[in-house]
Parts: sequence; structure tokens; C-alpha cells
Amino acid sequence: MLNISIMGIVYTVVNLLLLYIIFRLFLFKRVDAVLQKRREEIEHAKDSASKMEQEAEELKESYAKKLQEAGKECEELVAQSKKDGYDEYDRIINDAKAKAEQIIVEAKHNAQIEAQREKDAYVSELTDLVVHAANKIAVSKHDEESDKELYNKFIFEAIEKSE
Amino acid sequence: MDIGGLLNELLLEDKVMIHFDFMNGFFDINKSVVVTWGVMAVLTLFLLWLTSGMKVHNISTKQLVAEAIVDGLRGITGGMLGEEGIAYRDYMAVVLVFIGASNLVGLFGLTPATMDLNVTVALALMSIVLVEGAGIHHKGVRGWLKSFTAPLWLITPINILEIAIKPLSLCMRLFGNIIGATVIMELLKMAVPVIVPAAFSIYFDIFDGLIQAYVFVFLSSLYIKEAIE
Amino acid sequence: MDLTALGAAIAAFTGIGAGIGIGIATAKAVDAVARQPEADGKIMKLLILGCALAEATAIYGFVVAIMIKFA
Repeated sequence: MLNISIMGIVYTVVNLLLLYIIFRLFLFKRVDAVLQKRREEIEHAKDSASKMEQEAEELKESYAKKLQEAGKECEELVAQSKKDGYDEYDRIINDAKAKAEQIIVEAKHNAQIEAQREKDAYVSELTDLVVHAANKIAVSKHDEESDKELYNKFIFEAIEKSE
Repeated sequence: MDIGGLLNELLLEDKVMIHFDFMNGFFDINKSVVVTWGVMAVLTLFLLWLTSGMKVHNISTKQLVAEAIVDGLRGITGGMLGEEGIAYRDYMAVVLVFIGASNLVGLFGLTPATMDLNVTVALALMSIVLVEGAGIHHKGVRGWLKSFTAPLWLITPINILEIAIKPLSLCMRLFGNIIGATVIMELLKMAVPVIVPAAFSIYFDIFDGLIQAYVFVFLSSLYIKEAIE
Repeated sequence: MDLTALGAAIAAFTGIGAGIGIGIATAKAVDAVARQPEADGKIMKLLILGCALAEATAIYGFVVAIMIKFA
């Protein structure tokens, strides 16, 4: 038990190295291979996940941009329609104003014509009256009294008529 | 009770198992080497069974155990070796498993392989070769030679002496512990044949054997760490 | 008279040193655990390691005794 032989030591050294090789081949290498593969897969999954995330981010951004554009367009449309509405309103008001002015002008004109016509009628009646009076005077005898009476009558008639 | 006879039988038995009539028995194979072969065969079969059919996904419990074993062994030895000595952790793990398994053989009624001085001497020699080899590899020959004068040139003889003392203490510690445990167990079996030896066997065969394996690997790792710093 | 037995007995005195060493280590470990109960796992590990190392001196004595007696 206590004596040492060289070959005994050599045998043990060889055995230990053999055991080391066995452990390397059958335990460490195999487990390392699996772990390495798993690590690679995780790395790959991580990469693809980050890529997908980036894509999603881009998509989101583009959607946001689109949404913004749509909102702007909508605002533009509303503004346009408002402007159109105001324009239409103005136009209608202007038209109405113009029409009203025209009507007023026409009415004034009509009134003038009417007044002219009335005046004309009045003048012609007056003329008739004067002619009639003249005739009466011419026909009746002339004295001062009757002339006076006749004038008065004429004046009254004229006043009555003009009123 | 013939204690002297028991010790004589235990310590002076003929340990040659396979004898060659060649060069006056120079190539004789000891009992301990045969036990080592048995341990190696069992370990190899266990590893082959454990690591067969490894998959990346949907791993079985077997594979989980294999990965846990690798992680655990590397955690133990890597923690002792530190960052720089990470390359030696696999060898240290193998030594740990080998010494532990060899010490546990006593449970099955066999003589532990580490009870033979040849085995522990071989283990210690490999450790010191690895320590000095790591020192040369990491520092270069010049740096390795210079490390003998550290921290003072005065203690250079002690540093040189340490090359012999380190493996001697390693091998004697392991050998003495195992043979001491075996002798005590044999004496106990002689005194009280039943029950009591079983209780003590838990300490002397399992606990002490594993602790000594751990200590051997711990000290070897410490020496390596010291050599490569 | 055979004096080898006496030599082996003297070698067995290494047990004294180992006993004192393990006793001191255990006392310090108890102190440490009392001071920091949460670190008992680490302390336990270090204690077992230290005990194994201190025990080694006794083992050396034992090995020497065996060598004196049988080799």
C-alpha cells in the first residue's frame, strides 16, 4: 500500500487523461454544442424580433403620417366648403341687394311716370276747364259782376279739382 | 480482537492484481488501477446514457440533469480558478468527479482507488505539472523564473521547495484521509458489526470522501490561480 | 525493545495541533455566524474547507505513524 511503482503512477496518469478525453467528448462538447445552438437560436430570435419591432415602428409612423395628412385634408375641405359657403352667401346677398336696388329704382321710375301721368291728366283737365270756362265766358254776357262770379267759380272749381 | 493483524492485512496486502512475467514485474497492474478502470467504465456508460439524444428544444429531464451537472461542475471549479484560469476548469471538474467517485467506491465494499499511494501521487504530479505549465504558459519562461524570487529574493529556496511540498501535501492529504477513514471503518466493523458502521460510513465514506475531493481540487485551483496571476 | 511504536506514538501528537486549529476555526465561525447570520452558507463552506486543511496536519501525523510502523 505504501510502496510506489513508476508504472502504477503512469497507469493512473494515462487513466486520468483518458477520463478527461472521455469527459470532453461525451459531456462537455455535447452539452456545449447544444448550449451554443440554443444561444444562436436565441440570438436569431432576438434579431428577428427587433427587426419586426422596427418594421412595426415604421408602419406605425407611416400610419401616423397618413392620419395627419388625412386630418389636414379634412381641415382643408372644411375650410374650402366654408369659404364656398361664405362666397355663396355673399353672392346671394349681393344679388338680393342688387335686385332690391333695381326694384327700388324701378318703383321710383314708375312712381315718377305715374306722377307725370297724373300731372299730365291734371294739366289736360285744367286745360279743358280753362277752355270750358273760356267758352262759357265767350258764350255768356259780359258784365263785371258775372265776370267776377265766373272767376271765383273757376278758381273754386280749380281749387276743388286740385285738392 | 487482532487490531495489528487487521492493519497488517489492510496495509501490507499484495496490491498487484495482474502480474506480468516481464522485466521482473515492472508492468504489474495494481488493484487500484483496475478499480479506476471500473470507475471510468461506469462514468463513461453513465455519460453515454446521459448525453444521448440531446436536443435543442423540448429537452428531457435527462438532458436537464446533464446540463445542470455541467453547469454545477464548471461553477464550482470556475469559481475557484477565477476569470484567467477558466481554461483549466474542465480538467479540474474531471479531477473532482474522479476523486469523488473513487472515494465513494468504498460504499460498495471495494477498496477506494485513492487508498493506493500511486494514484494520489499521480494526481498530485499532474496537478503540479499543470500548475507550473500554466505559470509558464501565462507568464513566459522568464516571467515564470522571475516569480520564484517574489516577493523577496531571500525566500527563493522556499519557493523552489514549494514545488515539491505542494504535490506532497496534496497527495499525502488525500491518501491519509482515505486510508484513515478506511482503517477507522474497519476497526469499527470489528468492534460493532451492525448498524453503527452504517452511520459512521455516511461521514467517513460519503462526506469525507467528497470533502477531500473538493479540497484537492480547491488547492490545485488555488495554486494555478497563484501561478497565473 | 522496539522503539518504532514510540515513534508512531510521537507522530500521533500532531492531532493536538489539528484539534486546536479546528477549535479556533470553529469558534471564529460561530462568532461570524452570530454577527452575520445571513452569511452562514459562505461561512459554513469556508469552515469545512479550513477544517479539512487543519485536519490534514493530523493526517500527516497518521501517515507518518503508519509509515514508521509498516514501511
